[in-house]
Amino acid sequence: MNLFLQQIINGLTLGSIYGLVALGLTLVYGILHIPNFAHGALYMVGAFMSYFLMVDVGVHYWIAMAGSALIVAALAIICERLVFHPLRHSPPIHDKIAAIGILLFLEALVQMFWGADFRRMSSPFTGILNFDGLIIPEQRLLIIVGALTLVALLQVFLRKTMTGATILALAQNREGAFLVGIDANRVAMMTFGISGALAAIAATLYAPINLVYPAMGHLVIMKAFVIIILGGMGSVPGAIAGGMIIGFAEAFGGFYISTAYKDIIAFGLLVVILSVRPQGLFAKGAH
Amino acid sequence: MLRLNQLDVCYGSFKALNNIDMTIGAGELVVLLGANGAGKTTLFNAISGLIKPTAGDMEFEGQRLSGRKPSAIVSAGIVQCAEGRKLFPQMSVAQNLMLGGYVHRRDKVGNRQRQQEMYQLFPILAEKKDQPAGSLSGGQQQMVAIGRAMMSRPRLLMLDEPSLGLAPLIVRQMFETIKQINRLGTTVLLAEQNAFAALKIASRAYVMENGRLVMEGDRETMLGNERIRKAYIGA
Ligand SMILES: Nc1ncnc2c1ncn2[C@@H]1O[C@H](COP(=O)(O)OP(=O)(O)OP(=O)(O)O)[C@@H](O)[C@H]1O
Ligand SMILES: [Mg+2]
Repeated sequence: MNLFLQQIINGLTLGSIYGLVALGLTLVYGILHIPNFAHGALYMVGAFMSYFLMVDVGVHYWIAMAGSALIVAALAIICERLVFHPLRHSPPIHDKIAAIGILLFLEALVQMFWGADFRRMSSPFTGILNFDGLIIPEQRLLIIVGALTLVALLQVFLRKTMTGATILALAQNREGAFLVGIDANRVAMMTFGISGALAAIAATLYAPINLVYPAMGHLVIMKAFVIIILGGMGSVPGAIAGGMIIGFAEAFGGFYISTAYKDIIAFGLLVVILSVRPQGLFAKGAH
Repeated sequence: MLRLNQLDVCYGSFKALNNIDMTIGAGELVVLLGANGAGKTTLFNAISGLIKPTAGDMEFEGQRLSGRKPSAIVSAGIVQCAEGRKLFPQMSVAQNLMLGGYVHRRDKVGNRQRQQEMYQLFPILAEKKDQPAGSLSGGQQQMVAIGRAMMSRPRLLMLDEPSLGLAPLIVRQMFETIKQINRLGTTVLLAEQNAFAALKIASRAYVMENGRLVMEGDRETMLGNERIRKAYIGA
């Protein structure tokens, strides 16, 4: 029983991280209408910024997380302004190529400063909670609670505030958004900023139970792609639910089948689900 | 109120609007007649700032409009209820209306009050306010589109073929509502192919053919005109 509950905790942990990354990806999809391949690089830069702020500057974990979120939000906004905004009238393939360009550039940049080594990032939450035999490391609990809080805040922002609603409005009907006086530039910058901040926070939450290295974004972003395909491109609830599905599939598959195949499970699941429901699990479209 | 001066619009090398001169006075209800492809939508989009004219200028209440962003034009008091409605389909009716008041977002009380006025104008929308706009019937969606446009408290409302695809009875109600909106003080520019019904509520009309304004006159002149009767009314 405890082993089963243990896998639920693992599934929630993975699902939280994947969900946060996929949320940023799905929001930006509403603006660009392509998946932003550079999103995984933003995640990776987020981890390095936190690492840098903690190890080299010496600030507390929370401050490092906030600083990293701000830096990566700014970086994402710069990418929007310098790269995607000038390409807004070009065919979608230009955006895709540009996104891959940003990805390669950021990875090379980080490698230039920090090298390709694997690094370990510590966090003040090293304790282990023991609930009657069910063992939960504090950091995992932090990941789950942190992600749930962020998702709830984001939902309130998108559904209950006029500013948040402009993000969904622009994604649902671009011209309609212009007609009510929404400024596309403002919304695009805000969306990129939010998605960058979410990626950085996810990376900072996950890094202490993982490793920090320049290629760390690859697998996460691949899985986030799987999630938004499953969850319906642009769908916010779909990204959250899809993140959890993949997280649980990995936790349980890794435990009951084999950890060696854990990373393949997400992609196997994608093939199975898409052959049954080619439209994905949820309705497509920004909502 | 609105003055267009020798306006040209091109799509690539194709000249969609040619030398358009138009004036609309405050309080008028002006109809723009024109067959498919005449350039009505193009003219509206140029006024809304969605496409850039290649020549000429536009003036609204003494201010130049040319070169302004679409959001600035809505703030200035011109709003368009577009062809095809352009709603936010997965959002509720209430959210669509709320976003219509985006340019007045700091005036929450005013927006809420305005929203209630829209529910009075279109009582069916009050019933459906929590449903996704995309799930409504065509006529109801058109009401959401007009309501959303009115939420920005325009002084000039441009309606692009609001009767398109609606049953005759609904069309009649729609035109009644438009007339009422005009009576309550909003200037209206109405693009239509449904000439007879539109002329009945209009004070003046323009006729557009192949990107040019070819005729202009008040309602009686237009209704009595042989060419108009043949081309648009079929009688
Ligand atoms: N984006 C575009 N690119 C190129 N040509 C266009 C574009 N939009 C419209 N046109 C052309 O401009 C002309 C005017 O089109 P417009 O949509 O303004 O007509 P309309 O009067 O609104 O017609 P309808 O009654 O069918 O809506 C047409 O010949 C159309 O083919
Ligand atoms: Mg048209």
